[in-house]
Amino acid sequence: MAFPYSGSILQGHSVLVTGATGGIGRAIVSNLAQSGATVFAGGRNKVALDSLVEEVAGKVVPVDYDVTDENAVKEVFRTIQARQSDPDVGNFVGLVNNAGEMKEAGLVASNMELLRLQMSVNFYAAYQHMQLASRLMVRHRKGAIVNVVSQIGEQGGAGLSAYSASKAALTGATKSLAKELAPFGIRVNAVAPGFISTPMTAHYTQLQRDDVYSRVALKQSGTPQQVADAVLFLLDQCAGYTTGHVLPVDGLFQA
Amino acid sequence: MAVKSTMSNQQKLVQAFCDALGVSSQTVNDELQYNTIREWDSTGHMVLVSELETVFNVMLDTDDIIDMSSVAKAKTILAKYGVSL
Ligand SMILES: NC(=O)c1ccc[n+]([C@@H]2O[C@H](COP(=O)([O-])OP(=O)(O)OC[C@H]3O[C@@H](n4cnc5c(N)ncnc54)[C@H](OP(=O)(O)O)[C@@H]3O)[C@@H](O)[C@H]2O)c1
Repeated sequence: MAFPYSGSILQGHSVLVTGATGGIGRAIVSNLAQSGATVFAGGRNKVALDSLVEEVAGKVVPVDYDVTDENAVKEVFRTIQARQSDPDVGNFVGLVNNAGEMKEAGLVASNMELLRLQMSVNFYAAYQHMQLASRLMVRHRKGAIVNVVSQIGEQGGAGLSAYSASKAALTGATKSLAKELAPFGIRVNAVAPGFISTPMTAHYTQLQRDDVYSRVALKQSGTPQQVADAVLFLLDQCAGYTTGHVLPVDGLFQA
Repeated sequence: MAVKSTMSNQQKLVQAFCDALGVSSQTVNDELQYNTIREWDSTGHMVLVSELETVFNVMLDTDDIIDMSSVAKAKTILAKYGVSL
């Protein structure tokens, strides 16, 4: 996508991206910063956050916290609330719930701890972020939320029942909150990646990759940049009449 | 909207209710309760919470948001966050 493109509502406004230090997160932060937004970049790894700030051109504010720590999440939103009056930061208009955990385990080998971890990071944390973000957006009657879900959540995947359940929960919340928050001018959408080359999928062997590609119409993996472009589209005004939508970025994947 | 910097907290509270719910200041008294006027429904409540948080620079807990069932109750809750009314 060419930056900055005209009419970007992100210009001069602020957004929060979770999982900013991951493969897809870095691309999202870079896209949003280039479009003129001040990006609060959330992550747990301070060193990785600092290098992100150095690498990305534009305004990136690192926020070092664990998305499952409810008090830390409140603190982050307090910071954003306080800082949005700074003209250099601007009104808070966007949230990208991108932090995620994927733990593969068949039903027989899975345990409640793995289920809880994935539900906590992929769903409960995203839900709390939407709750607090929407309260800041309501004031200006303007905002957009994009949740990074998964084709595994949409279609299911053997050995990924806990992960798919957590992502399907987020898809459900996306569709419901799109309806609930529409009267306040807040849009809620999701992107559903298929197989994207990032640290999350780095452990896949060539054999496993070939198996995945055989089920992808475009016969290859996607890139973090392609996911980030879809996120930018849904966040910005070019998708101003789109809400409650789950946009696949999957090369037409069949799980 | 009145100039908020010169207003007392009590005046800011009334103004926040007026701005959020679109009602006149005469409507806003301690006895005014959630869901007793058309303007203060669940949608109005969300706007009200957002307005109070911005005006008083606080972030309310969910339990307090649920509990905020009247103007009097809003005062008690805000006091917990250090807002003297
Ligand atoms: N890659 C794919 O094929 C694919 C497909 C579909 C959906 N997705 C989704 O896309 C999103 C991004 O994934 P990715 O591929 O970019 O994976 P990644 O490189 O592993 O990045 C995941 C990010 O989430 C962060 N995170 C995890 N738990 C966290 C916690 N408790 N608190 C704060 N941050 C936390 C990680 O931070 P740390 O570095 O601190 O762990 C990391 O920055 C995820 O939601 C994932 O489920 C990915």
